[in-house]
Amino acid sequence: MNVAEKKARVIEPDTLIGKRIPKMDAPEKASGKTRYIHDINLSGQLHGKILRSDRIHALIKSIDTSAAKALPGVHAVITAADIPDQRPIGVAKDHFPLKVGRVRSERDEIAAVAAESEEIAEAALKLIKVEYEDLPVISNPEDAIKPDAILIHPEPHGADGSHEHLKQGMSIAHKGKPDNIAMRFDYVHGDVIQGEAESDVVIEDTFKLHYVTHCCMGVSGMIAEFDSSGNLLMYSNTQVPFLHKREFAEYLNMDPARIRIIQPPIGGGFGSKLDIYPFEVICLYLARAAKRPVKMLFTREEEFLASPTRQPVLLTLRSGCKKDGTLTFRQVHTLHDNGAYTSWGATTPFVMMQTFSSLYRVPHCDYHTAAVYTNNPYAGSFRGYGNLQATFAIEQHMDMLAEKIGMDPLEFRLKNAQDAGETTGQGMSFKSCGFKDCINTAAQRSDYARKVQENVANRNAAGNIKRGVGMASMLHVGGGAKIYPSDGCGTILKMDDFANITLITGASEIGQGSETVLSQLVCEELGLPISAVTVVNNDTAITPWDVGVHASRTTFIAGNSAIGAAKKAKAKILAVAATKYECAESDLDLRGGFVIKAANGEAVVELSKLLRNLHFQDKAELVMTTFYYEPPSVHQDKGFKGDVSAAYAWGTQVVEVEVDTDTGIVKMTKVTGAHDVGRVLNRLGIEGQIEGGVIMGQGYALTEDLMIENGVMKNPNFRDYKLVTAPEIPEMDISFIESMDGEGPQGAKGVGEAPSICIAAATANAIFNATGVRIYELPFTPERVYRALRGQTPKLYWKPWKAN
Amino acid sequence: MTELKHYFAPTSLDQAVECLKDGDVTILAGGTDLTPQSQAGRLKIKQTLMNIRHIPQLSGITLEGKEIRIGALTTITEIMEHPLIRERLPVLVVACDHFASDQIRNAGTIGGNICNASPAGDMLIPLLVLDACVELASMPENKIYRHCMPLSTFFVGPGKTRKSLCELVTSVRIPLPAEGHVAHFYKHGTRPALDISTISIGVAGTFRDGTLSNVRVAFGAVAPTPVRASQTEQALEGQRLDEATIEKIAQIARDEVKPIDDVRATAWYRKEMIHNITKRILSHVAQA
Repeated sequence: MNVAEKKARVIEPDTLIGKRIPKMDAPEKASGKTRYIHDINLSGQLHGKILRSDRIHALIKSIDTSAAKALPGVHAVITAADIPDQRPIGVAKDHFPLKVGRVRSERDEIAAVAAESEEIAEAALKLIKVEYEDLPVISNPEDAIKPDAILIHPEPHGADGSHEHLKQGMSIAHKGKPDNIAMRFDYVHGDVIQGEAESDVVIEDTFKLHYVTHCCMGVSGMIAEFDSSGNLLMYSNTQVPFLHKREFAEYLNMDPARIRIIQPPIGGGFGSKLDIYPFEVICLYLARAAKRPVKMLFTREEEFLASPTRQPVLLTLRSGCKKDGTLTFRQVHTLHDNGAYTSWGATTPFVMMQTFSSLYRVPHCDYHTAAVYTNNPYAGSFRGYGNLQATFAIEQHMDMLAEKIGMDPLEFRLKNAQDAGETTGQGMSFKSCGFKDCINTAAQRSDYARKVQENVANRNAAGNIKRGVGMASMLHVGGGAKIYPSDGCGTILKMDDFANITLITGASEIGQGSETVLSQLVCEELGLPISAVTVVNNDTAITPWDVGVHASRTTFIAGNSAIGAAKKAKAKILAVAATKYECAESDLDLRGGFVIKAANGEAVVELSKLLRNLHFQDKAELVMTTFYYEPPSVHQDKGFKGDVSAAYAWGTQVVEVEVDTDTGIVKMTKVTGAHDVGRVLNRLGIEGQIEGGVIMGQGYALTEDLMIENGVMKNPNFRDYKLVTAPEIPEMDISFIESMDGEGPQGAKGVGEAPSICIAAATANAIFNATGVRIYELPFTPERVYRALRGQTPKLYWKPWKAN
Repeated sequence: MTELKHYFAPTSLDQAVECLKDGDVTILAGGTDLTPQSQAGRLKIKQTLMNIRHIPQLSGITLEGKEIRIGALTTITEIMEHPLIRERLPVLVVACDHFASDQIRNAGTIGGNICNASPAGDMLIPLLVLDACVELASMPENKIYRHCMPLSTFFVGPGKTRKSLCELVTSVRIPLPAEGHVAHFYKHGTRPALDISTISIGVAGTFRDGTLSNVRVAFGAVAPTPVRASQTEQALEGQRLDEATIEKIAQIARDEVKPIDDVRATAWYRKEMIHNITKRILSHVAQA
């Protein structure tokens, strides 16, 4: 038998999309081998520690660091006085890393030490003497907006008491703020007065949302080193390496090109690493002052005290509908407790107003927020970004309105739910929309309609355990969010002569599984197994530009970028193969590590062999491609209108609870979720992400509560800050609605934030279904629920406040 | 900061109590309270740190006449799994099952839980209603001196006991329950594991013909120490457990306790829970 007669090998079609693919970083993490920033130590490294304020609001009268400087092993002790060129940091540039003249919250940074060991650094902190003059504390945002309230960021005065001459464009940290309002948001579509006039039913309620924090298992940290040429190398847990590079350069008054950020594997982000915090800049100052690498790691207590929080919100919602179940209007006023300084938390209204204006069809909507300064911890960004708070109010009102007009809550929701093809009052355009499928699927799979009726009938039955079921839905960006001038991501792809791929992406991995999904997408194009990919994503000196991990954008944006690079590589390979085998490119395809005949799957040549041929020739060619993807979204206009995301994600969750009326303990027994994710890429990954998000939502709803009293955190530890533990996790039934988004990578949309958004709202509805008692304030701790059941909770009401 | 200068790991009780003579000693057993408390600066480790884990006399669970002796070093897990405890003192198993987490139960000891003297200590409430005694050893001269103290008089405040600095807790002794003995424990917290109780309740006694006698009631986390509830006990003694009586006794229990507000709950809620859970336990006893 000669070679020509040998039957050609046929490669059967296969796909990686929708398969259950273990995360690429899982074996290392599960075996304890991952090297987090905590495990990295540089030669000659010093340890940095921060002295924080032991007052809540006070003037700093004097700081004496002489004894600390004299302690053997101490290399640098710095205060604001040592950094004359300090620049203000934060979203509103309203504070200095090392505080100047005044402390405004418990976490405030007074001084910092770099020493040869953590123990010496801590001993040195104890030797620093600070004299304070206490000021009145504002711990309640309602007090902060009173006309006679003490100012948190007063205008500085000259020595003679006169106003300092202030130039235009100066930051709040320099020129102060004549009131305690950090940010204002005012949004309108339609005319709520007309909407109210058309309503048969109008309700108004106040909701109160509390402080929680991310509780990343890996505490925050940073290592900074300047080399002999003045270049800065940072090991950082940031979610935003490229934008932060530029910001750090500004704070250090240096050329951004001389900064390189390496991101070691991270022990949790969830939004907490989206801003630059004082400790990071202080670590750089210490490294600069000590001329040695400095490592700074938080203790767990510090992680609680000095990490950002979710934005606490006081919210009054007025909603109306007609007897036939048509929503007529929504009017929303919120008061955000900004804390002492401004981080991304203040900007959560960007997301909150989307939910109010566009989750359901609302002809008239009017939304107002004031984020006000207090002496409390300051709020940052956190998975869901305001949407948990907005959904908590909206979805309770959906149930309440339905009850008022005697309509089934499911039917009421379906009647007002958005469809594909609609453009909302805020200008969001829903190209793919599986919302109604989400509602119907979650309702059917949980037997919602029957259980709602049954539980109401059983409310007055004997026994202390009452069962309840509640529903809530959400809308969130699923195709990036055009917040910056760019919302894009770059990819560099190279193939070696064994047909292995190095995927160099701007997208950071923060545990969300992006490495695995991006590898899948690339392998799908190039017909290779996932084991063929090495992902490089953690070094700004190597990776291309990206605007960071936020807004559930990575799969969508970085995914499209990776596909773009893979398609270019494929085109090049097929062109080479077509020439070599004298056929048309369109007759060929890539599959199973081979170039194949597209028509019948017959193997033409092994891809690795073709690549070697390409390399080992006179005019060698390499398969190396680049791609940059920018989504077709637009910026919002000044009225916050515009199609800000390239796609939108939807979801409905049904929560079932058992309420113990003797104790107020709420047990979450089951969560049935249906999520419009566009398309499932990695089924194992998405299930994990949904499950984790549900548990995060459960903690927000039931147990987690960062207690702040007069600016003092009462429970900065895992003993008294109650994360959900394994036995409390409910049964979960998760369905995926595949709406195949036209712009999404393989049809997928972002889902990272979605699963935690609805849980608290659905739980509130479930408790009402079980007991007939509605609770407007989170979290639903046993005591809060018990008080409400015993009629011991006065009705919450916050009168919307209007400033002129 | 610590004054720690010496580390000592005795292998006999004699060595241990002799070391305690000068009093300036911190005793280490499981370390599950000592370590976090010293790290948080709430407890200062003294000049000598004495690790008692290598003393064989402090281990084991044995039946000695009409008493069950649990060595001070016995871990919570060992208690929970021991056949003698499971058979004769099942209420202790219930308490173990609500004690922290598996990891802490594997390290934490009964002696440590008693000496830590937390008002919310999980093992203390069932031990109180079982009439447990603490056995203490010291070496006043050159010979070991042992004596027992009822647990009900052992605690004086949060973290404070009547054990002197030169004494070592060697065991806890529990009289074998008589025929018809019932004992219940309820720990109220926000989650099933890894929680400090908001309140806890222990009820024990002899239940015959619908009445409870020789009653013991103890409450946790409502006072500076775990406490026996004498008024509730008196009111319960010899009573027939009908619905009206149970309600009356639950009210007496609520009025008897004087809890405080803290991060876990308000005093009001604690009193309500004492009422509701006492009622629940007594109803359970009555229906059994």
